Amino acid sequence: MKIKLNNTEIEAADGKSLLDICRENGINVPTLCYHASMTPEARCRVCLVEMDGKLVTSCSTKPREGAKVVTNSERVMKARRLNMELMVPQPSCRREDDYEVCQTYKEVGMGNARFSQIKDYKPDLGAAVIRDNNKCINCGRCVKVCAEIQGVYAIDFASRAHNEHVTPYWENHLADVACIRCGQCILNCPVGAISERSHIEEVVSALDDKDRHVVVQIAPSIRAALGELFGMPAGTLVTGKTVAALRRCGFAKVFDVDLGADMTIMEEASELLRRVEKKGVLPMITTCCPGWILMMEFFYHDLIENMSTCKSPHEMLGMLIKTYYAKKAGINPKKITVVSIMPCTAKKFESTRPEMESGVDYVLTTRELGRLIKMKKIDFAALPDEEFDPALGISTGAGVIFGATGGVMEAALRTAHFLATGKELEKIDITEIRGMKGIKEGKIVLNGKEIRFACAHGGANARKLMEQKDKYHFIEIMACPGGCIGGGGQPIYRDPEVLRKRTEAIYSADRSSKLRRSHENPVVKQLYKEMLGAPLSEKAEELLHTHYVKRDRF
Amino acid sequence: MMAKENGKKDARPLMNILHEVQEKHGYISEHMLKQIAVEQDIPIARLYGVVKFYTMFHTEPQGKYVIEICGSPSCVLNNGVKLEKFLEKEIGAGIGETSKDGMFSLYKVSCIGCCDEAPAMLVNGEPRTKLTVERLRLLLKKIRENEAKQSDGEKKK
Amino acid sequence: MGKKRSELMQILRQTKLEALEKARTLGPEGVIALMEKRGLEGRGGAAYPTAKKWKTCRDAPADERFVVCNADEGEPGTFKDKLIIRHNAETLVEGILIAAYAVGAKRCFIYLRGEYDYLRPRLQEQIDEVLSRAGMEGVTIEIVRGAGAYICGEATALLQSIMGFRGNAMAKPPNPTTCGLWGKPTVINNVETLACAAQAVLFEDWDPTLRLFSISGNVKNPGVYEFPLGVKMSTIIDVARPVKKLKAMSFGCFGGIMPVDPEMAVTPETICMEKCQHGAYSIIFIDETNNVVDVAYSIAKFYTYESCGKCTPCREGTIRMLNLLKKVRTGKAVKKDLELLRELATHVQETALCGLGQTCGNHILTSLQHFPKDYDAYMKK
Repeated sequence: MKIKLNNTEIEAADGKSLLDICRENGINVPTLCYHASMTPEARCRVCLVEMDGKLVTSCSTKPREGAKVVTNSERVMKARRLNMELMVPQPSCRREDDYEVCQTYKEVGMGNARFSQIKDYKPDLGAAVIRDNNKCINCGRCVKVCAEIQGVYAIDFASRAHNEHVTPYWENHLADVACIRCGQCILNCPVGAISERSHIEEVVSALDDKDRHVVVQIAPSIRAALGELFGMPAGTLVTGKTVAALRRCGFAKVFDVDLGADMTIMEEASELLRRVEKKGVLPMITTCCPGWILMMEFFYHDLIENMSTCKSPHEMLGMLIKTYYAKKAGINPKKITVVSIMPCTAKKFESTRPEMESGVDYVLTTRELGRLIKMKKIDFAALPDEEFDPALGISTGAGVIFGATGGVMEAALRTAHFLATGKELEKIDITEIRGMKGIKEGKIVLNGKEIRFACAHGGANARKLMEQKDKYHFIEIMACPGGCIGGGGQPIYRDPEVLRKRTEAIYSADRSSKLRRSHENPVVKQLYKEMLGAPLSEKAEELLHTHYVKRDRF
Repeated sequence: MMAKENGKKDARPLMNILHEVQEKHGYISEHMLKQIAVEQDIPIARLYGVVKFYTMFHTEPQGKYVIEICGSPSCVLNNGVKLEKFLEKEIGAGIGETSKDGMFSLYKVSCIGCCDEAPAMLVNGEPRTKLTVERLRLLLKKIRENEAKQSDGEKKK
Repeated sequence: MGKKRSELMQILRQTKLEALEKARTLGPEGVIALMEKRGLEGRGGAAYPTAKKWKTCRDAPADERFVVCNADEGEPGTFKDKLIIRHNAETLVEGILIAAYAVGAKRCFIYLRGEYDYLRPRLQEQIDEVLSRAGMEGVTIEIVRGAGAYICGEATALLQSIMGFRGNAMAKPPNPTTCGLWGKPTVINNVETLACAAQAVLFEDWDPTLRLFSISGNVKNPGVYEFPLGVKMSTIIDVARPVKKLKAMSFGCFGGIMPVDPEMAVTPETICMEKCQHGAYSIIFIDETNNVVDVAYSIAKFYTYESCGKCTPCREGTIRMLNLLKKVRTGKAVKKDLELLRELATHVQETALCGLGQTCGNHILTSLQHFPKDYDAYMKK
């Protein structure tokens, strides 16, 4: 159909929203409550445009033939600005803030701050995720994402009118309800009313303490995303610079969680083969995702036996740091502080689990690392590439793909094939479990037996897959859409392309790795030879395995 | 949000279920909230949000007599505020509170549709209209007398 | 002459299942055609042509349709639907059945506001009674109980409530008539509309110009009166019998406040000329002992309770407008505050998501326009 857009006649497809039409025609319309993969609610009223003389929300309005649309009149600008003023009565965007609302101010212009702050809520503080309703603009994205994309539904709006606020049931703290700490709410909050509980202070304290030997380990996903916090395009692989930055922050050693991932593969592939052989509980479900573990503990009590007992990679490496490395380096493990840099907010909770003997002292998210680097006035972009400390820093491509949905599965199968048949898996790139499809599946033959596997990412997809679980032998669940590269601790993104670019970086790191199979890792071999014996040995069980509990939903 | 009606234990509208629970127990407690969430397969955060949306659902124990006095223009124009203040004094509780003796809960609500008999209020859902200070005084007296008789009757048993 | 409750003729005429019988002889399309001929418009305030709504619902492709009777009468100063529920419920029920027949619905709902719950037992009896004699196989009428939310009188919010959600207003499109309860085409009609529908089907002499006026405020004879559109204001005043001289009149809370002109003929056009909206013809009379700003304040307070809270302009605008009026009443306001008040009221009107937000500024804009002296009396000296 033909419509008039800012005095130009254009062709627009039927059934498209004004927002989409504007964007297709290069017109930027600010949005806040809009989410590309969910039905528009038209709450914030920032995306206003004029259509046939009426102000309408472009996200929810579809024009008819001959509509006259204006996006840049003074009337439109003033209306958007006043809604911003009403949402954020006293704006306080600092230069370093990367919240979406700060960008919206640049597009819409600041209003006159004529209203005083009248919200007076107590902040909700927890171990992983914290909320401050005083900053909330009631956009509802956190509620929708938690409900529809994550399938958790830990929060919703309560009360009415100006008392409408986001809360878990009965005004509980988020930490006291069935929240999986995935942090997707954080990623979707345009104003930072929800954020991670920061541990920067504790880490800086430890770094300043001359008595402590502070080591850091970084997850696969960090290297694919940290650059975004320093102006680099999404998908820039910054492994070397990250290692260099961490050294300049004062960490004594920089280790690679990918090595921990390789260890996880050794243990988990062995565990899978044992269950298949000895007719153990199947399907076996991966457990490197603490968000998924919480989901199981809250909502799927009957799956406890299905869960792999393997700890997650950074927890495995944390234990190895405080035993193997401490011994090798001749340092008292009690003097070692282990910091994990994670794309994940749930891992802040994971390291505090009483069921888990954890070697990790603090978890910092990718975003916190960015803040720490800026605090230390390090010019990230100008850094040279440096290598991990070799003691626990050598890893394989199998380890790095843990960052992407399907990566754990692929890495495990590369090793499972070798352990089961003694021969290397020829098709090393198991492409059918790569990519953004919500649920992916495939099959492989090991010693004449067909092993069926599936992966899901995002809580709602995990729930869907659980309904079909008995079709499979092996299931990988990542609570965050995209897998860990889309984790709650990662740089905030709006365009789903960013996830794809980060994923590409992960797989390119795999492709360019000298070693691509966990069982080829010389440090892995050394660890088993010198300390653990073999996968699933008593020592391995003691250090690298854990168990789970049933939690009440409410 | 368009929800599908699935095979729940109780296919009645949630509003009616919530009313019934409140009628039976006097209010909707956290315990009952959990029960409804399980029986109706509703996420508890959402269920809480529904309960807290509606003025007439209470999540705390209420007085034996819940008074909802109208605060909308027709009643205000007919002396409503004076009666509000009188009530607050007489029952010993402010708007939104329950009296210490557990007898009355007092709320100011929006138009209850008795504008031609203003000022008006609901007492446990029953309209009491054409109110004056005198009428209120009498009403409260009657309620208190009834209560005294009942509790005497209880004692005698 | 206006007719008071006991003498009301048209709205209390009973159809005694004869309207349904006649409807069945006409067939669904015939019923809709008759509705169009009679010119029945919605009586909830929006005055949408009933025949058009029923036709749109019927024509929307679906395997299921619903009829909902909006008995959430919540506009302050409105109590006409209560009259119908108390004194002509059977005709109302018949009207619901006729609507169901016309659009092809089986499940019907009556959303009855919580404040009218004392009417429910008798209403339920009458529903059961009529259904037992109506001969409409498979058609059910279920009462859904409201719980104190004015916004649930708004069509999309009402449906949210029936479906077990918070009573949030929803962006349109989609329109409930084609995509309502559980995504199916749903007709939502006001109590008076449905009662009139039954009467309009049966009575050849049914008069569409007769409307129910809810009259209240500073008058000795408040009540529901039936007048023809075009009735002179003085006729209404004579019947209502004010105590003191009347200064102003408000159409509920939403319609705006305007001066009382005894010579004015009450029509949608004349009311529109004063920048007001007639809605369901609820008139709250305000006499000269009152400052209109005080009335505006109680209206503004109403909106800060009743806004659903979903959209920014209404959720935040209503409390800001109340606070500004508070400032005015405490004598601390200056000219800039009134400008901001006007700006806010206009802004919420133009950018809110639903009818509540789009009308919650009317009382402010009209009182500023028509009663500036009342504001002046409060301004900072």
